[in-house]
Amino acid sequence: MSVMIIILIMSIAIAGGFLVAFLWSVKDGQYDDDFSPAQRAIFDDKTKIKTKTNSNI
Amino acid sequence: MQLEKFTYDNRLPKWFAYATIFWGFVGMLIGLLAALQLAFPVFNFSEYFPHLAFGRLRPVHTNAVIFAFVGNGIFTAVYYSMPRLLKTPMWSEKLGRIHFWGWQLIIVAAAVTLLMGFTQAKEYAEIEWPIDIAITIIWVLFGVNMFGTILTRRERHLYVAIWFFIGSWVTVALLHVVNAAVIPVGLFKSYSWYAGVQDALVQWWYGHNAVAFFLTTPYLGLMYYFLPKAANRPIYSYRLSIVHFWSLIFLYIWAGPHHLLYTAVPEWAQSLGTVFSIMLLLPSWGGMLNGLFTLRGAWDKVRVDPILKFFVVGVTCYGMSTFEGPMMSLKNVNAISHYSDWTIAHVHIGALGWNGFMTFGMLYWLIPKLFNTTLFSRKLASTHFWIGTLGIIIYAIPLYFSAFRSYFMMKSFTPEGQLEYQFMDIVNTVLPYYMLRALGGLLYLSGVVLMIYNVYRTTKQDEFVETEEMEAAPLPKVYHAPKNAFWHSVIERKPIVLLTLSLIVVSIGGIVELIPTYLVKSNIPTISSVKPYTPLELQGRDIYIREGCYNCHSQQIRPFRYEVARYGEYSKAGEFVYDHPFQWGSKRTGPDLARIGGKYPDSWHFYHMLDPSSMAEGSIMPPYPFLFEDDLNIATTRSKIHAMRKMGVPYPFNYEDIANDDLKKQAVSIVANLKTADIEIEPSKEIIAVIAYLQRMGRDIKAQN
Amino acid sequence: MDSNAIKLDAQCYHCGDICLGHPIHFDEKDFCCEGCKTVYSILNKSDLCEYYDLNAAPGASQRKRYRKDKFEFLELAEVQQKLIQYKDADQTHLIFYLPQMHCSSCLWLLENIHHVNSSILSSRVNFGKKEIFISFDNSKATLRSVVETLADIGYEPHISLDQLDAKQTLGTNRTRWYKIGVAGFCLSNISMMSFSEYLIGGGTLEPELALAFKVLSIALAIPTLFYSGSEFFVSAWGGLKHRYLNIDAPVALALAMTFIRSLYEIFSGTGSGYLDSMAGIIFFMLIGRWLQDRTYQAVSFDRDFKSFFPIAVNVIKDGKSIPVTVDKLRPDDVFQIHHQEIIPVDAILSKGNALIDYSFVSGESAPVNVSKGEIVYAGGKQTDGKLELIVVKEVSQSYLTNLWNKEIDQSKPALEHNLIDTISTYFTYVVFAIGILAGGYWYWQGETTLMWNAMTTILIVACPCALLLSSNFTNGNILRIFSINKFYLRSPEVIEKMAKISHIVFDKTGTLTQHRKSKITYQGQILNREEQEHLANILSQANHPATRAICDYLEISEAHEVKNYKLTEGQGVEAWIDEYYYKLGSPAFVGKTFVNLSGSQVCISKDGEFKGVFQVSNVYRFGIFDLIQKLNHKFKLSVISGDNDSEAAVLNNFFSNKESILFHQKPQDKMDYIQHLQSNVTDKVMMIGDGLNDAGALLQSDIGIAVTDSDNTFTPASDGIIDANKLAILDKFLLFAKDGYRIIGVSFLISIIYNVIGIYFAVQGILSPFIAAILMPSSSISIVLITYGMSEWMAKYRGLKLTNTQKEPTV
Repeated sequence: MSVMIIILIMSIAIAGGFLVAFLWSVKDGQYDDDFSPAQRAIFDDKTKIKTKTNSNI
Repeated sequence: MQLEKFTYDNRLPKWFAYATIFWGFVGMLIGLLAALQLAFPVFNFSEYFPHLAFGRLRPVHTNAVIFAFVGNGIFTAVYYSMPRLLKTPMWSEKLGRIHFWGWQLIIVAAAVTLLMGFTQAKEYAEIEWPIDIAITIIWVLFGVNMFGTILTRRERHLYVAIWFFIGSWVTVALLHVVNAAVIPVGLFKSYSWYAGVQDALVQWWYGHNAVAFFLTTPYLGLMYYFLPKAANRPIYSYRLSIVHFWSLIFLYIWAGPHHLLYTAVPEWAQSLGTVFSIMLLLPSWGGMLNGLFTLRGAWDKVRVDPILKFFVVGVTCYGMSTFEGPMMSLKNVNAISHYSDWTIAHVHIGALGWNGFMTFGMLYWLIPKLFNTTLFSRKLASTHFWIGTLGIIIYAIPLYFSAFRSYFMMKSFTPEGQLEYQFMDIVNTVLPYYMLRALGGLLYLSGVVLMIYNVYRTTKQDEFVETEEMEAAPLPKVYHAPKNAFWHSVIERKPIVLLTLSLIVVSIGGIVELIPTYLVKSNIPTISSVKPYTPLELQGRDIYIREGCYNCHSQQIRPFRYEVARYGEYSKAGEFVYDHPFQWGSKRTGPDLARIGGKYPDSWHFYHMLDPSSMAEGSIMPPYPFLFEDDLNIATTRSKIHAMRKMGVPYPFNYEDIANDDLKKQAVSIVANLKTADIEIEPSKEIIAVIAYLQRMGRDIKAQN
Repeated sequence: MDSNAIKLDAQCYHCGDICLGHPIHFDEKDFCCEGCKTVYSILNKSDLCEYYDLNAAPGASQRKRYRKDKFEFLELAEVQQKLIQYKDADQTHLIFYLPQMHCSSCLWLLENIHHVNSSILSSRVNFGKKEIFISFDNSKATLRSVVETLADIGYEPHISLDQLDAKQTLGTNRTRWYKIGVAGFCLSNISMMSFSEYLIGGGTLEPELALAFKVLSIALAIPTLFYSGSEFFVSAWGGLKHRYLNIDAPVALALAMTFIRSLYEIFSGTGSGYLDSMAGIIFFMLIGRWLQDRTYQAVSFDRDFKSFFPIAVNVIKDGKSIPVTVDKLRPDDVFQIHHQEIIPVDAILSKGNALIDYSFVSGESAPVNVSKGEIVYAGGKQTDGKLELIVVKEVSQSYLTNLWNKEIDQSKPALEHNLIDTISTYFTYVVFAIGILAGGYWYWQGETTLMWNAMTTILIVACPCALLLSSNFTNGNILRIFSINKFYLRSPEVIEKMAKISHIVFDKTGTLTQHRKSKITYQGQILNREEQEHLANILSQANHPATRAICDYLEISEAHEVKNYKLTEGQGVEAWIDEYYYKLGSPAFVGKTFVNLSGSQVCISKDGEFKGVFQVSNVYRFGIFDLIQKLNHKFKLSVISGDNDSEAAVLNNFFSNKESILFHQKPQDKMDYIQHLQSNVTDKVMMIGDGLNDAGALLQSDIGIAVTDSDNTFTPASDGIIDANKLAILDKFLLFAKDGYRIIGVSFLISIIYNVIGIYFAVQGILSPFIAAILMPSSSISIVLITYGMSEWMAKYRGLKLTNTQKEPTV
């Protein structure tokens, strides 16, 4: 199954790429606070809409 | 330094949303037509346009639903959520536009070419190489835009949804490139680099991961953004969502081979697929529960809000199919499900339930937002929900029945040890189920029609909000420090990362070296009696591919008594070394053809192709009259032989020059053979090549025994 | 009082407190105080009222607003230079600790703060740490104005001396995550390849594929062992250097063995090694450690007294007052202290009404009057108006500092080896014994190759990782459940100690009783409104805690002129008001005697006629006595209070079989008492206190638990911090700690079984990688599931909360 080697290497390459991404995200402190992000995601931006005035809620 | 003003662009999300709806409708319509063709062959409209038979329509359906409907759905989610999560507009609006129009163009081109019979005959990767290249370009542009946005973001944290988008993008890009490795032999014709078993492995490594990284992970991103938004409560556990992403990303990539259980693929590769598929259960369910628990204590909301209803059922379907999947990858279960309608039911639970309902939920939430209004009619949306749910049920249940009934009929023997049922008996038994399936599809589609009306009225209620003005501060400098210095600092501080990086570099270098050598090497036949196809057979095979016969006929006999008794000796890996691409198929609506060669006289095939029911009472196979009128294009023979030899198929040197002479000789002999059955036909017709190929299949092994 | 009951319904729109007296109406909303109203109007002006939509009444009470010059000291260069994280030409970066932060509203408001103060460029919250990062525009704002903005909207940052001394660092330790990531990545890929080999079934791997597998798995195993697994070797070596086998010793040995053996097999082509098992062990054990060592970022277990001090005070120099940081205070400096501020240095009172609350230092609950010329000790809190004081000693020599330093000297008795380490020692010896026996046997049989096989594989399977996992996961989950129930432990070792506790010592003020709250009961003739007003006016003149308490209770605003006010020290007051003659004070003062009354009394006589008596007594925490009942027959109990014995009667009542109840205990006495208890070796003592006065005792005891009120987030150094409202279920915590102990025991047995199975194969020298690969994860996973399941179940059984509500995460 020589093609397995290609798949193997490819897969490990991808996984390796994701490992680097993971290390970066930890280093960057992405996971220091696991409460706020979930909250921020649902906050509505205080945007001013051109046509109408208020987009909140 | 000041707060920076910027605007969210709502036009692209709107366009993508509309495209999603449009292609969704088209794709499902074609799906419905295909379902009808199986239930009532008249829907092949053979008298009017014989070319548009099931074999060509089904790829259009699958591709339309996956890459047009779900694809645009993904882009809608990305182009709407990303700017808002990262507090910045998409990096380039122009790229966005190119992406949009490029993608739609690709879809149209794909649909047209597939209907014209230009196909690679690998499921969900049928589209031919020029369009594959276009896809690659557009996908890269999309990636550039995405990462550009990430790099210019004003929000430091990358919300988990974005991680899912990134993961999907990277993996899909790589899968697409690896699987689409072909040698072109014409503008719209190519041969896969890999042969037989190897091709099968790559295809299903791709095939499974296409499901994983196109239909699942991006939609998980969608879920993690839109579900909390719609419910207006944060995701149940953010920590869990992070674990969900990383564990999924590290496991998914290996699950492919479970699509090849009991095939000629080496046992260990099959079992490997099983092991990892089962491991997948944990992260998948983690994600599902995370989604459902988000609504914990808000069920009163769910009861009244159709959007949440869609999400709940969508997520539940995700849970169901991610449970069903690993189960189906267990060998003994797979023995039943493989080649059967079970698979179809399984994927449609995912497609209709997970992808479909998540998309509808998103659209019902998004469209009013874009028009700064409320949904035209919640009642209508609710009706859509119920019709849709009913549709899924009526679609799936009958197929499960059909799967089991046909399984037991397939394997039942008379006391004398004879197969109890002919294949045709089985077809007749499952036909009612196919009718019900079509009904389910019809219901689901009519739900979509309701949605289209609802959306239309909603957009008419108020003015479209083209852009939303926003202001935020850029990322503070101190936080840039780690990022700018990232590569440098990490590499010097973390030798392990250096090691990983070098590992990757090495692997990529390795690939470049390995591919040619191994692929050629591995094409050396392991069964001496297996010979390359003759030019005529090769041409016939390409017609077989063109008409998409693999959509209903497998060429892979599993080592079960009931299969061997029905179709003949089970398939060996060595038999397929010249099959570029492999034609194992994944569904047996018709019987397996791996050993069809020599089973019937040429005349049988002649009549059968002209009018299947004349040879097999009650056959639902469409007739192929045009094969008897169109002349075979032998101009391509030379390049085809040439390409084959390039890939290690041992045709003698300069065989190209004489190939067509051999071709004509064989054609004449077949015509002569047909004459004995008082059939008159010129040797130049395509049917001759088809017969040649059909009669060749599985012969080599027989010759050896 | 009924009139109160009517007022109850009015709830403050900002802080949710009940609006005592007459609520302030504004914008169709009720507010309990001007402060809350002010905050609301600010937010309203900046169109930030979504703050109130996200959560109802998300604010903290604003009764005590900061005074306008409070943050003057932030203009001092040395203060700024210490507080500012980063500064350049146009912007400045700050990080503050905001104890008030508690819900998504806080998060939302604080990150939209630039709508309140446009000079703030960006603000970002780290909820776990309750920290906010702010960058502002130098040209538009100053450190002070930014802090004032925060204070204006009800999030006054906590700025303290110790913070100045050492600028806190943002970065948390992330190496463990790197290690887990690497291990996980390598594990999934190694196992993918080794599985293929196990599952090879009929066919065989092509040579080139087999080679690729071997090379790759070794490449992946190296970082797993030498990076992810490094900590086991380090700690094992650390143990050995002190001639002591800790749990990591056998683990490290097993890992090393596995690796070497695998390399040997792979290169000699005799087998495929156990690399997958090795990676698995490392991965699972790292996860276990992570779970166990979770730290509560927002909870600080070792604060020193400085964090309670004001950072700077206003010093009067030739007429005008200028801010000076406390450490710069020199003898004879004259400085000001305002209402509710803590006196940072020993000083002499020169001006103003000093009513000093020493409860935090001495435990004495009643504030003491200090007359001019008398000395005021550092740590006391002024509960009356503005004061002027003259510095006697610098902060470094003041009474409190000495007190503190004395306590710090007391080093805890060296931590005895915990259960796991003790077991592991025997464990190791047993393993070696078996190894040698098996080896010897095969040698005697003349099977030298088998001998090596057996000896090495025994060491491999005998890895006590399952045992380690069991304790890690159990402790980890117990800590988690505790924290959900607002009980935070410094380290997992504390759990084990908790299980051994035999004697519990309580502090009274602020621990058994509520902080600065008194229960007031009135017996006698009904007082009409007018009489109430009279009393209020007279009592408000007297500076006695009891009388103040009564004033608050009466809530009278109407003023009446008070004539011929006369105070008899320690007796009571007499005065004329609206032509009535009142005598208020001790029973003796009004010529009465009461029996069996606890707490202090204020008797009232109007025109010589006895009206009734106000009874002022401590308020005990809710459910505290039920708790005592539960603990009574399981533990020895004591109470040591710095307070007077006015509550003796009540306490004696409830502590039926107490060891002792002591009053007037100085911090030193408390410490000595604990020491005295510990002199009995079999007794393990748990001290539960709140104030700085308990700090010594908390340190001295085997486990010191600090009680924290929601409004007071600062606690002395301790092994654990418990939310005051949860003190009532202390018994459950203690029981659950014991359960945890048992759970570890059970899962330990199970892990032994796995080891036995493994060794059964090993001694025969026939342990195949496949068996190892099955044994390893199955043992690990089953252990994890069992410990998790059992601890969850026991917690449920003990009636502890298992999940968090969305709003408040565990810190």
